[in-house]
Amino acid sequence: MSDIAVTLKINGRDRALHVPAGETLLETLRDRLGLTGAKRGCNQGVCGACTVLIEGQPVRGCLSLSANCDGSAVTTIEGLAKGQALAPIQKAFAEAGAVQCGFCSSGMMLAATALIVEHPRATVDEIRAGLAGNLCRCSGYRKIVDAVLSVIAGEAR
Amino acid sequence: MSEAAVAVGLSLPKLETVEKVTGRAQYIADLSRPGMLHGAILQSPYPHARILRYDTSAALALPGVHAVVTGDDFGEHRMGAFVKDETAIAKGKVRYVGEPVAAVAAEDEATARRACQLIDVEYEELPAILSVEEALAPDAAIIHEDLAGYFKVFPAISKGNSLSYTEIKEGDIERGWRESELVFENIFETPAQAHLAIEPCGALAETDAQGRVTLWSANQSVFRVQANVCESLGLPMSKLRCVTPRIGGGFGNKMEAHVQPIVVKLAMVTGRPVKMILTREEDFQMVRVRHPAKIRIKTGVKRDGTLVVRECELHLDGGAFGDDSPGVLGYALLMSRGPYRIPHTRCHGHVVYTNKLRSGAFRGFGNPQVSFGAETQLDEIAEALGMDPIELRLKNLMQPGDHWLGGQRVDSNGLADCIAAVREASSWDRRKALPAPPESKRRGFGIAVAAHISGLLGTGAIVRLLEDGSVVLNTGAVDIGQGSDTVLTQICAEALKIPIEQVSTASPDTDGSPYNWGTTASRVTYTTGRAVLAASRDVERQIKEQAADIFECSTADLELRPGGRVGIKGVQAKELPFLVVSARAHWRKGGPIVGSNTLVYETPTIDPKRAVALGLPFQQIGVYSFAALVTEVEIDEATGQTEVKRVWTAVDVGKAINPRLVEGQIEGGVVQGLGFALVEEVVWDGARLANPTLMDYKIPGTMDVPYELHSIIVEHAQEDGPFGAKGVGEISLVPVPAAIANAIHDAAGVRLRRLPMNAERVLRAWLAKEGGPKEKSLAH
Amino acid sequence: MSALQLHTPTSLQEAARLLAADPEAKCLAGGATLVAMMNAGLVQPSAIVSLRKIDGMAGIKRHADGSVRIGAMTRHRATATSSDLKAGQAVVKHAASVIANPPVRNMGTMGGSIAFADPGADYPPALVAADAEIELIGGNGSRRIKAADFFTDWYQTTLEPGELVAAIHLPAGDLHSIGHYDKLARVEGDYATASVAVVLTMAGKSCAGIAIAVGACGPKPVRLAEAERKLIGSDLEDTSLAAAGALLAEAADPVDDVRASADYRRLVIPRLVRRAVRAALAQAR
Repeated sequence: MSDIAVTLKINGRDRALHVPAGETLLETLRDRLGLTGAKRGCNQGVCGACTVLIEGQPVRGCLSLSANCDGSAVTTIEGLAKGQALAPIQKAFAEAGAVQCGFCSSGMMLAATALIVEHPRATVDEIRAGLAGNLCRCSGYRKIVDAVLSVIAGEAR
Repeated sequence: MSEAAVAVGLSLPKLETVEKVTGRAQYIADLSRPGMLHGAILQSPYPHARILRYDTSAALALPGVHAVVTGDDFGEHRMGAFVKDETAIAKGKVRYVGEPVAAVAAEDEATARRACQLIDVEYEELPAILSVEEALAPDAAIIHEDLAGYFKVFPAISKGNSLSYTEIKEGDIERGWRESELVFENIFETPAQAHLAIEPCGALAETDAQGRVTLWSANQSVFRVQANVCESLGLPMSKLRCVTPRIGGGFGNKMEAHVQPIVVKLAMVTGRPVKMILTREEDFQMVRVRHPAKIRIKTGVKRDGTLVVRECELHLDGGAFGDDSPGVLGYALLMSRGPYRIPHTRCHGHVVYTNKLRSGAFRGFGNPQVSFGAETQLDEIAEALGMDPIELRLKNLMQPGDHWLGGQRVDSNGLADCIAAVREASSWDRRKALPAPPESKRRGFGIAVAAHISGLLGTGAIVRLLEDGSVVLNTGAVDIGQGSDTVLTQICAEALKIPIEQVSTASPDTDGSPYNWGTTASRVTYTTGRAVLAASRDVERQIKEQAADIFECSTADLELRPGGRVGIKGVQAKELPFLVVSARAHWRKGGPIVGSNTLVYETPTIDPKRAVALGLPFQQIGVYSFAALVTEVEIDEATGQTEVKRVWTAVDVGKAINPRLVEGQIEGGVVQGLGFALVEEVVWDGARLANPTLMDYKIPGTMDVPYELHSIIVEHAQEDGPFGAKGVGEISLVPVPAAIANAIHDAAGVRLRRLPMNAERVLRAWLAKEGGPKEKSLAH
Repeated sequence: MSALQLHTPTSLQEAARLLAADPEAKCLAGGATLVAMMNAGLVQPSAIVSLRKIDGMAGIKRHADGSVRIGAMTRHRATATSSDLKAGQAVVKHAASVIANPPVRNMGTMGGSIAFADPGADYPPALVAADAEIELIGGNGSRRIKAADFFTDWYQTTLEPGELVAAIHLPAGDLHSIGHYDKLARVEGDYATASVAVVLTMAGKSCAGIAIAVGACGPKPVRLAEAERKLIGSDLEDTSLAAAGALLAEAADPVDDVRASADYRRLVIPRLVRRAVRAALAQAR
């Protein structure tokens, strides 16, 4: 077909793929690579459930065309834990009660991961601003912010 | 109990959290089956039309298409929670823009959607009914001509386009008006709200070689899914097994059917597994919304603040199909007197068919709408009488042992403590002494209270002691993210005094789980928890019988000990691990230890000596939780935009089995209520939805809600609740709109009686403060 | 139907050539708009011309004279955090900082945003108030057009077929001017219900120069010399602000939509103008 050869570094591992031009990164991750942690909540870039990191920056998987991401380093939720050892943000979310239905959680934790790297001493307001692109309908956000605060405070280490 | 709790009362992390934080949780969209096809739906472009004919030939001819189904492929079977008025797919008529008219199964989703575009349907348009007023007009087009003939689970008072009329009366309202010194009457309006669970609806069905179907779907009840699919397809229930993946949020939208009947049909017709996941837009257009409501509340009081009489008249827009509408109407009316002593009450209303998307269950189930009216009016009454809003409420508050409207006695009632808690936490009495807000902002405080039931209908639990002494718990209750698997496990673990790690929870399965009506009505902790506790006690009894046999003593001499052991009281050395007892039961004597319990909530809602009810669709409703909420808002003088700065919510939950999960429910409900109060509105442009996307329909994000959401747990034990617990899932949403409205009044001196209280409405009200339009009564 | 093509040209000229050759081809900048529309089935291009590999398309350059060139592929995030936008130019920086949300700001570009010309977007009024010029490149070479003339109607610009936005140029402006962007939206990250972009220059207590552009209240940003004349030379007291605001509200052509009614927008324009100008004034002190 007219599929395009592209190499994506997914969670540290190079994947050589052939994808149609119109395939989104979300589709590639979920349907081609079986990485279903990124979710489709709206496919319009609003809800944030598809958020993944490219070169460490949060972007919308549903608005990224894989063929246009050749050579990019992508981090998904599946890439946060080291074997069985959860990343601090994952432990913090679990312990703070920040995960109810969990559908927003992958995108939320990745956005939080990038936020903490950029603002290692983020305040409540900076955390809220950093997560403003991730909608949650279950939690009211309070415990999500608390989870991020606890990572910053080092409690989850 | 003098011993330390094993599990109950502890904020244990949820059981499924690791899979959710690692991205391994499998929701419906993540599932696939070998040989799976994909489904798509063709939606109706008209709000009301006869279907004259279909031409599916072009669709069937498209390579990759395996099946096309229309109403012609379904018999005359109807489903419906109260009135069975709904076919699996449009048949004979379409009744709302967006209604499924045809469906396709194909090799991939793109082909299925393309095939839908090739289906030709000929319609004959009928007059469209787009409002309650139009629906009730004398010569209105009739949306359900066969309404009289539909099966109804209760004696509904139905006529024309009015699906259900309900009335509840207590006392003598004419006497009430005569005894009143002041009368207040207002009309309130609330819009449709979209549930907006982040996960859209979807289903996957597969038939086996015998033609029996297994169905996975986004749901709040495998049992309701089973009933709805079988009723709408004319299938014996034993032919359908419903199971559940993880659920990405459910607030009432996933309780009754969405695409499941259509997906099952496609699987049966093709003989292949079929999966369908709705787009966000389809989810907006095809599922259900909160009932838009018009509420007239008339309250008579004495000058000293005593509430004498309340009349509530309610009109709900039910949309094209009945769904839960009769229940929402009945429940809203039941809640419309609120947690107060008002001797004379008459509440009545209609829920009406219109040619719009069906309205259905949504967290609060009619209570948010009537509470918005009732708790806002109380604030107005307080102001007119020169009383503090809290004092007026306290003066008339229901006390423990009082009877709810209708006559049900309520003993567990912590409302006074809830009010005291938020009064204290918010420094309510010192609110006027706070430093002035920033220039161009006005600050206000508002309070509202709520009561809400938990309970209703049937549930069961099976607790099985495995050969090694560990336990499997099976209730059929779907955990939709609120944490019921964990809470029920905590109850079981506590009862058997075993660590929570020794209890596993079976996934809901209509084949193996005992019946559970569903995860709705804030009921799982209380209702299913009761069954779990009773089943666990049954296991305890059987353990003790085995041990008594072994020790040759009486069961009364025995006690359970922490860690899964049974022993003779006072004799430390005489004890056995569960493993020994269970092994004996399995291999030698007595039979495997399986504890079970089923129950249906039985306390009647109406005591005929106290109240008269007409057309009430339920006879037993549940036990009562209570809440009080104070909010501080800031209004921008330039724009009228309201910012919620702080919220304090106290909820009497009887007993917090898992306090952190209780807080999660309180906080989530408050924020969903904030959205309903200030921002959210499903808008129709004529017959079609104007805002069926997340670009156009907005829900609160992190920056739109305060970090300062304070949750206060109050515990007035519910006697028959598991360890005293009752529900919390919905109640925190209920008082939010009124509390915010009251705070807006405190800040800006304007009373808003219509939701959402967006910037435009606040600013207009503010500018019009000196004289405004008079109230109209509900006309018809 | 043939499969969607993806082109990744390495020069602007090549990109323009590809677009001119195929009227059904679409430019891909950040993807925030194009891919969303493709996902919704609102657009079905025959080919996508990705600008990703074209050197020099992204980045902000401040020249010695204080003017600034913003490459069309500059992400909102870069604009929002740039220290090269100074004085009145900061109006564009503020506007960038309130577009959508952080992940979308990591993806969306100024060129892509203005080419789509959503009337509810944040750049148009900010660029108009900043007296920006848009540099377009096409088969006939490059040309510049004032931002106020670039946005012509609902979702329409002066872009000819085969043309694309190469860069946005901001004049230096007065080095003591203040830029401020005031956005009213239903929730954080929504498109504006109404917005006001201000570039203000004071001379002591008196207004020496002002540019005001109103966004989301019509097919394109509303800027009115007559309104600005009401303020120049004044102390920016309420009566002058009200007069200017009234003229702008009169000149605006808002519609009813899901965000607000036209009436509300007309009502709130003067109030936002007052608020935005006073906020700029507070920064000038």
